Amino acid sequence: MRDLSQLPLLLLGGLRIGAIYALSAIGLVVIHKATRTVNFAHGGFIMLGCYGAYVGVERLHIPYWTVYLVVPLAVGAFAAALEFSLLRRLRSADAFSSVITTVFISILLTELARLVFESDVLNVPTFIALPPILLRPIVLTWETVWIIVGALACGMLGAYVFARAGVGRAMRAMAASVRGAQLCGYSVDAVNAQAWLLGGALAGLAGVFVAPRFGVSPDIAFATIIPAFVAAILGGFDSLKGAILGGLLLGIVETLTAAYLSGALKNALAMLILLLVLLFKPEGLFPERRIRHV
Amino acid sequence: MSSRGILANVVGPVAALAIIVGIAALLGSYAQYVLALVIVHCLIGAALVMIVGYARVIMLAAGAMLAIGAYGSTISITRAGLPYPLALACAALLGAGAGVLLAVPASRFRGHHLAMATMVFQILVVIGIREWTDVTGGALGLRTPAPSFGSLTITADLSNLALIAGAAVPALLFLAVLLAGSFGKMLRAASASEIACEAFGVDTSRMRVAAFAFSSAVVAYAGAVLAPRVRILDPDSFDITRSVIMLGYPIVGGMSSLWGGLIGGALLQLAPELLRPVGRYQEIILAVFVIAVMLALPGGLMGLVGSFAPPPRRRPGASDARMRLPTSTRPARRTAAGTALALSEVQKSYDAVRAVDGVTLQIESGVMHGLIGPNGAGKTTLFNVVSGFVPPDGGTVKLFGKNIESQPARTRIAHGMTRTFQNVAIFPELSCVDNVLIGLGENSVWQTSRASFAEIFGSLRTRERIHAAEAALGAVGLDAHALAAAGSLSLGNQRRLELARAIVSEPRLILLDEPVAGVSHEEEKELSELLRLLNRERGMTMLIIEHNIAFVRALCDTVSVMAAGRLIAQGKFEAVIGLPVVRHHYFGDPNAARA
Repeated sequence: MRDLSQLPLLLLGGLRIGAIYALSAIGLVVIHKATRTVNFAHGGFIMLGCYGAYVGVERLHIPYWTVYLVVPLAVGAFAAALEFSLLRRLRSADAFSSVITTVFISILLTELARLVFESDVLNVPTFIALPPILLRPIVLTWETVWIIVGALACGMLGAYVFARAGVGRAMRAMAASVRGAQLCGYSVDAVNAQAWLLGGALAGLAGVFVAPRFGVSPDIAFATIIPAFVAAILGGFDSLKGAILGGLLLGIVETLTAAYLSGALKNALAMLILLLVLLFKPEGLFPERRIRHV
Repeated sequence: MSSRGILANVVGPVAALAIIVGIAALLGSYAQYVLALVIVHCLIGAALVMIVGYARVIMLAAGAMLAIGAYGSTISITRAGLPYPLALACAALLGAGAGVLLAVPASRFRGHHLAMATMVFQILVVIGIREWTDVTGGALGLRTPAPSFGSLTITADLSNLALIAGAAVPALLFLAVLLAGSFGKMLRAASASEIACEAFGVDTSRMRVAAFAFSSAVVAYAGAVLAPRVRILDPDSFDITRSVIMLGYPIVGGMSSLWGGLIGGALLQLAPELLRPVGRYQEIILAVFVIAVMLALPGGLMGLVGSFAPPPRRRPGASDARMRLPTSTRPARRTAAGTALALSEVQKSYDAVRAVDGVTLQIESGVMHGLIGPNGAGKTTLFNVVSGFVPPDGGTVKLFGKNIESQPARTRIAHGMTRTFQNVAIFPELSCVDNVLIGLGENSVWQTSRASFAEIFGSLRTRERIHAAEAALGAVGLDAHALAAAGSLSLGNQRRLELARAIVSEPRLILLDEPVAGVSHEEEKELSELLRLLNRERGMTMLIIEHNIAFVRALCDTVSVMAAGRLIAQGKFEAVIGLPVVRHHYFGDPNAARA
């Protein structure tokens, strides 16, 4: 048990991991909103982002900031290619088939990573290697600041693109009614590809943010998909704002549980929250709007 | 079930096990060890066909169920001193309990939410095993004792194989009978159209709970059978990756029969042995294989086999597709008397829209009553209130004198009321005769499970039910299609099928929601004739929503007109249709005065 003087530091730690969860969840929500597919391979995409960061920084030695641009684009392009080559064919089948396919894509990505990079945890240096800021009693590292501010800003940017840009309008139209959107001249193919591109890019970005923090290993895929699901479900699974709030909330609750209660409980906590929300508040804690069930 | 069906679905799998044991006896001890594992995974695959293939649940907790059975039986032997056979039974019970627990969320949500709930369960169980070190040994693992009967301990690989095969038989028979019988059909019906199921008295959530319980019990039982062979149980071998690979069993093999699970389980369990030369690529090849099957072979490997089988034969003698009343041996059951349906001040609002706004309506027994009105008048909402899909905000609904407004849809068939749907709600994977059988009722978990076992021994009750269903199909002129899959019928024939399902239980009141929408002129006349006959000879009261005015005029004794949620006119067709208020609201006649 720690004393309460640690609380501000713990809260910052919670926000830091929460911001990453939020970023992961937003990509999931974007894909679900536009294409009605729940992407169980999202953790695999995040893991790809991690390895992208590792390869860029440690192997190719390209400037760190370019990793933040190139990796999300690459992962996004990969996600769109997956949609184009595999999931598109399953669109006429039921949701069941496409969800199962994403589950196996996730296994495929993890095992490929294990094959190429072995199971060792690889390290990526922090983005900003400056001495920490001392605000007694808090020791604030630049990494913490960068993750909280950077990840949240990226998440919000993604949400903004979805909500405001022309692409976003098409995706939201498609989410409301595929037939209606088609009649208005939107192409389902194009919109689906764009949604997977955006969602994949956000996952890749989350991977770059998470790499220095968690280390890079194939296990990242399952380690990140669960909190991303929980954050998305806390937000009602269709709300971008909800996903951000859900991610932050989950990060803080998890960190506090690990510090004041037990580490094992922390692992189970996300699951319990998920189960409780699904059972008692399936519309999420931060639903976008009231949904009419007919 | 036909004797061919019993042979293919019940005797066949057991024979396959016997063949595996026979082959293994000729091979070395390592092959015997491998084949023992293959049998266990065949059993797991078969159990997953029930939950994944029939109930359409993305089950990501198979590893957890396997762990519950393996740890449960081992601990009950080492700690509680249970004999081996009892420990197996104990594992099955634990699995069933865990299945029911997991099914609690299943009654609340579907699809991907349910998939996530099973994933949560999976991960919680593995965390539990890892943390509860006193009992489970945690990450260090738990040593399992060799199976023993009294002083006899089974150690040889071949004896173990025989023991495992012997233990698998009862579980396999249990699954085979349920899947091939009424229970399996009902489960597929429930996952195809919950609405249609509820309308015919099926409690779909109970059905799903039962599927979870049965299938989890068998997976846990398989875990218990497997435990002695793996020697040391550790939580990592039951993790989510394991669950995902097991999810692949029914997908690869095929989800529409027990055989799919057997083949998928055997193939994916043997794959690592066959792929030994490329050991590092095993999981990758497996995942690619499953994705390829998803894309190219939606029916799995069994679907490939099935595509070479001949299509169901047409019945000899069943030729014309004309509708006619069946020459029933039963005389007309009742003479109609009293009030069939009485609505009083029924209200239903969706937000600010008053879909049904204080409707009071009385329909006498034996009457054919039409309900007409413009689109959006609230006709279908009124139907949904009467048939129990939508609880009314206010007012009462009396069916043959009983208040039913607070009872769910599935109770209606017991009150003698059935309905058809505006958008046909049939069970496309089932044959026409099976579709109609569901309309006969007796659809609870217990009744269908019992019927599944009775069918094996050719029960009289089953034969009677099939005769009734065939008679109803004959009545609507579908007898030639009795064995065809309902989904392969034309829209007009699907509407006939819905009608057959609605009349087979000889209900006292039928609600027909646009019965002739999209039906040809010729069929419309036949249908009209049939409905009239059912009404005159069987005394079936009918409430019909229809936009086809000529059809309503020819058929209905009385009509009601709805507009904007209210009943604006009621009476004989000719009298009602001339009223200015009806002309204004329904036909949009600008010259008709507003009332």
